[in-house]
Amino acid sequence: MISTKDLGEELAKISLDLAKRENASYAELRLVNTRSEAITVVNENPASEEASTIGVGIRVLYNNLGWGFADTDELEHESVRETTRKALSLAKGASKLGIKVTRASEPVHVDKWETPVKKDPFRVPTETKYEYLQDTTKRMKENDVVARRGQMTFDFIEKYFANSEGSKIFQTLSCAGVSAIVAAKGPTGVQRRSIQQNTGGGYELVDEMDLPGQALEITKDVLALTRAPTINEGKSDIILSGDQVALQVHESCGHPIELDRVLGYEANFAGRSFLQPDQLGKLQYGSEHVNIVMDATLDHGNGLGTFGYDDEGVKAQRKYAVKNGKFVGYLMSRETAPRVGETRSNGCMRAEYYKLPIIRMTNVSLEPGDWDYDEMIEDTRDGYLMVTNYGWSIDQKRYNFQFNTEKGYRIKNGSIGEMVRGPTYAGITPEFWNSCDAIANKKSWVLWGTPNCGKGQPGQTMITGHGASPSRFRNIRVFGAS
Amino acid sequence: MENQPVSFREKAHQIFTTVKSVAGKAEAEILLVSRVDEYLRFGNNELAQSQYSTSRNLSVRVASEKKQGRVTTGTLDKASIEKTVEKAIKQARDSPEDPDYLPMPGAQKYRSVDRYSEKTVEAPAEVKAGYIGSAMDLAKKNHLLASGVLGTSVENVMMLNTSGLEASYRGSGGYFSLTMDADNGNQTGFALSTFGDIDELDPNKVSQTVLERAKLNKNQADIAPGKFDIVVDPYAWSEMLLFFAVSASTGYSPDLGMRQYKEGRSYLSGRIGDKILGDNISIDDDVYHPNQAGPPFDGEGCLKSKVSLIENGVFRNPVTSRISQHRYGVVPTGHELPLPNPLGELPTNLVIRGKGATKTPEELIGELDKGLLITRFWYVRETEPRTKTVTGMTRDGTFLVENGEIKRPVKNLRFNQSLLELFGKVDAVSEPVRNFSEFQQFRILQPGILARDFNFTSVSPF
Repeated sequence: MISTKDLGEELAKISLDLAKRENASYAELRLVNTRSEAITVVNENPASEEASTIGVGIRVLYNNLGWGFADTDELEHESVRETTRKALSLAKGASKLGIKVTRASEPVHVDKWETPVKKDPFRVPTETKYEYLQDTTKRMKENDVVARRGQMTFDFIEKYFANSEGSKIFQTLSCAGVSAIVAAKGPTGVQRRSIQQNTGGGYELVDEMDLPGQALEITKDVLALTRAPTINEGKSDIILSGDQVALQVHESCGHPIELDRVLGYEANFAGRSFLQPDQLGKLQYGSEHVNIVMDATLDHGNGLGTFGYDDEGVKAQRKYAVKNGKFVGYLMSRETAPRVGETRSNGCMRAEYYKLPIIRMTNVSLEPGDWDYDEMIEDTRDGYLMVTNYGWSIDQKRYNFQFNTEKGYRIKNGSIGEMVRGPTYAGITPEFWNSCDAIANKKSWVLWGTPNCGKGQPGQTMITGHGASPSRFRNIRVFGAS
Repeated sequence: MENQPVSFREKAHQIFTTVKSVAGKAEAEILLVSRVDEYLRFGNNELAQSQYSTSRNLSVRVASEKKQGRVTTGTLDKASIEKTVEKAIKQARDSPEDPDYLPMPGAQKYRSVDRYSEKTVEAPAEVKAGYIGSAMDLAKKNHLLASGVLGTSVENVMMLNTSGLEASYRGSGGYFSLTMDADNGNQTGFALSTFGDIDELDPNKVSQTVLERAKLNKNQADIAPGKFDIVVDPYAWSEMLLFFAVSASTGYSPDLGMRQYKEGRSYLSGRIGDKILGDNISIDDDVYHPNQAGPPFDGEGCLKSKVSLIENGVFRNPVTSRISQHRYGVVPTGHELPLPNPLGELPTNLVIRGKGATKTPEELIGELDKGLLITRFWYVRETEPRTKTVTGMTRDGTFLVENGEIKRPVKNLRFNQSLLELFGKVDAVSEPVRNFSEFQQFRILQPGILARDFNFTSVSPF
């Protein structure tokens, strides 16, 4: 059977030759072969699904004025020719309503890249996976518990990319996810506790996360939450858990630094951004403690935003979005980079093969600070610790946000005290990040994963990474979820 | 039973023959889905992203000795199908017994639904590009930037199983979503139209509505948060109303199913017969409504029935399935998800309606003494399950209305609002329209409403 790489080379030659003959200004082809598996246990009920897809996405620029994209899962030569013609036809049509496209240059790459995997999840027996999840949900079984769920997911993706400039790149990308949710009913209604992590790599994540080991603790938590008080509305200092900071970075920094939003291409759906090009290097986005990087390299960690090359053949890079609190950089594509005076894309174009690549987050991470976590708590006179996201919402320019978390604790005179349910905080992005006065050090820093970032029309879902450690914010508006 | 293109039906039967030959004595089910989607996406007055997509997807479920496996593939040559079935057999063998396992259902009688429009399927890209070109011309003439998408799709579905079930469906649909803005979105207007048949689309009406809103929506006035009477445009809801049927408290899982109700997972558990909405609001699950979409059968091929979920404000019935019939002795309504499904049933075709005569959206505004007109909700998430409290923002045009007239635009507001309370304070509704959200595809027919005491909690800087 022909390998994905060899098939990609074969189909790319057919497609790119045809595009060249038809005078395309630029063309690229991605062949993507994906295998994925999801194993779930809800209460005592098992469910598993394995899926495999393979297909090509072809993107063509015509007359440097119009883009066209077409995809197919029929991989016979004539189907690929027909799909190329369809992309050309759309590009020619679009060129009548387009404007001149200037693209940043990128070296030609002939390379291969692979996600490091310690334990191949597809070689772990299904029985072992079910035993792990059943053990997890069994440990959650208590009176008043109304839902118990454990899940693991794995993806193995072979991706061949070639473009009309001569790049030929083959990547194998692997990622894994595990989660557990327990819900309980009590005097305060239904409460939820959950654990979730998604990273690059394989089954080693399942071993590291030890869901069965954590099941008892989150079950104890959720039962306590059904009797815990809510919090009064007011202003308070807050410390957020690392996973909550990761989502805060995703929503209030990762999205507004997407340059396509800034330039108006997402105005109808995902929205625009409050971070305008004339603020580059000037806007004090956060306090001096805040450093946020956009880093797709393996040196940053094996995250959901780690890869060798993006989906227009740009090599993975590391750049700052926020340096010592100043806003300094965007997530870009080859087409958008020149619009802010950059000579090179930082490699952020990503999509499934059947979707047009758009600018997506790579690993957008808050760098660790120098606080020991325990010392941060001890240094807090009066405030709340808020742990793990429940709900999130932010306006279309990424200013006004509100996050509610699953559980919290009152902090009094440097000690963690009473548990509270549904603690919620809200604010305006730059004010919030400028109130950050403490970030925990590398010991508490984790590269978290977001497996379901939505953007684009038709809607696209992307995986993104966000390193973060627990952080403190002063004088923030807080209230209870209900 | 719908008429399928012969080639698709024949292909499904060919595939099923292969599947049966590999499955042997095991029970087997196939779900074959074929789609063609075309999207013309534009931004900044440029046609920026034209996309054409074809896909086929085969999902095979195999069951033996109360164990089940499901494997899906996009590759439909004989060898790949055989490999897919072998994987499903292995997966079933290696899985634990499913305590809810039932033998696959046999042949069913279906009610016909007419969801396929040749015109939508055949509409040339040039015609659609013309609609977009007109919108962009209008925007340019008014010093605005047009962005949005015009998408059409056609879907063929066939399900077959070894108990003799054969179900098929084909449907088409689309949407035109348009924004015109200026000054980095500080001036903006939005409108949306969804359709089953592209002839239902009036692109000029959409463009004119957007233009009017965009011209009006600049130099927004400051406003203090608080409780306001509101009119919600029927297309404004975005993903908000799906929280009637999905619960974050159990991990964004389906709700309003009998299994969730009985297990205590549903926000309405124990509340059958309780008044939860106003007397004038009813919610059905009705796949047969002429404006609904999707097949008249569920995830295991069983006939879907119309279910009155909430009648005149009183919670009457969760939806059910064969598993609920087996567990609890209830009549199945055909609301199972593809099996194995440990999450429970889901009403997939909500119809939210008012009692008595409906008003036009303009009449709803005319009846608002003092309050706000909402043209678009945004980023709505559940914050509290029991009261179905959700938070979110307004965007692209929030207007102060006095004495039935739009007076001026105001800045965008954040809300924290119980859906149950909101639909307990509705004074009037418009005719339901099809919902559309890029975040979450959910088939809801939703009205515009005039309602009291909507709870806004903060204001955006723009």
